[in-house]
Amino acid sequence: MIRKDKLGFIIVLLSLLVLLHGCAVNRATATVDQTTDLSSLKVLYVKKYSEDTRDTNVVIKDKLVEMGFHVSETETEVDAIVTYVDKWFWDFTFYLLELTITLRDPKTDFPLASGNSYHTSLSRKSPEEMVGEVLTNIFFNNQKQGVDNEK
Amino acid sequence: MKSNYILPIMVLAFVAWLAGCASPASKEALVVDDASFGTRHPYSVSISTSGGGETTAMSYTNIPNEDLAAAIEESITTSGLFSSVIKGDGADYKLSVSLVSMTKPMFGFSFTINMEMAWSLVNARTGDVVMRESIKSSHTATAGEAFAAVTRIRLAVEGAVQNNIRQGLQEIAALSLD
Repeated sequence: MIRKDKLGFIIVLLSLLVLLHGCAVNRATATVDQTTDLSSLKVLYVKKYSEDTRDTNVVIKDKLVEMGFHVSETETEVDAIVTYVDKWFWDFTFYLLELTITLRDPKTDFPLASGNSYHTSLSRKSPEEMVGEVLTNIFFNNQKQGVDNEK
Repeated sequence: MKSNYILPIMVLAFVAWLAGCASPASKEALVVDDASFGTRHPYSVSISTSGGGETTAMSYTNIPNEDLAAAIEESITTSGLFSSVIKGDGADYKLSVSLVSMTKPMFGFSFTINMEMAWSLVNARTGDVVMRESIKSSHTATAGEAFAAVTRIRLAVEGAVQNNIRQGLQEIAALSLD
């Protein structure tokens, strides 16, 4: 049996653990290569991440269409291929912890531009908001190059 | 030691381990100082980096953009790959290096970091793109190298960055620049 005082000590430590893990960390970055002209990209293809079980590709595709891009169903004859990595985490419910989206040259696979968004549990955002944040930073706020606004 | 203290100590160690799960990469460890690329381009170059970030107590080991640029600059200077490295405008060539992705393993005896960086080199005078490469690198740090997981992660990140810089500079060395 665990004594009451020791149990209290453990509860305090576990609370600290939860607190540490749940701290609000927000980070959103976007970079565009010096050789890339984003205005020339009109037709895109979203390549589904092999480990994506939550259809984040559909959220990305919908957002790109909303932003005025034509999203092709095939990899051929597109201006860029959109790849992504989504990381989900559980804190009472599953939420999207980190999302990285990369636009790639369809011929060489070169990363033309990339954006990342990271929000821990206390500042969690919906997948739609995360996708919107990353794509907006890539296409409209890429002067944020290298910015790391952790709070 | 009384056995009834073992559980609290284990919990405390676990908390400490979590709290200390980020250790910043050392700038010096990123530098490629053991290579001569066999080429000396008689031009100056400027360097810009992006995609990196600061390491905080709650984040994973990261590479500040300034440290990445400094490591590339020192590697170029040491190897003599370009005649000089210029900060700001006025260089003959503009080198851009962006950290695109980095795997972040959390558990294990050995930590392997896989990394991708985008390297591009542009002739500043003509605007011609002379290199555009996606360079992938990796490095594994084993338990034999460091007991603490936080140290192994840092070593793996540093090794992957150094490998990437080496490959990038080798690609540039193979170019015929005008």
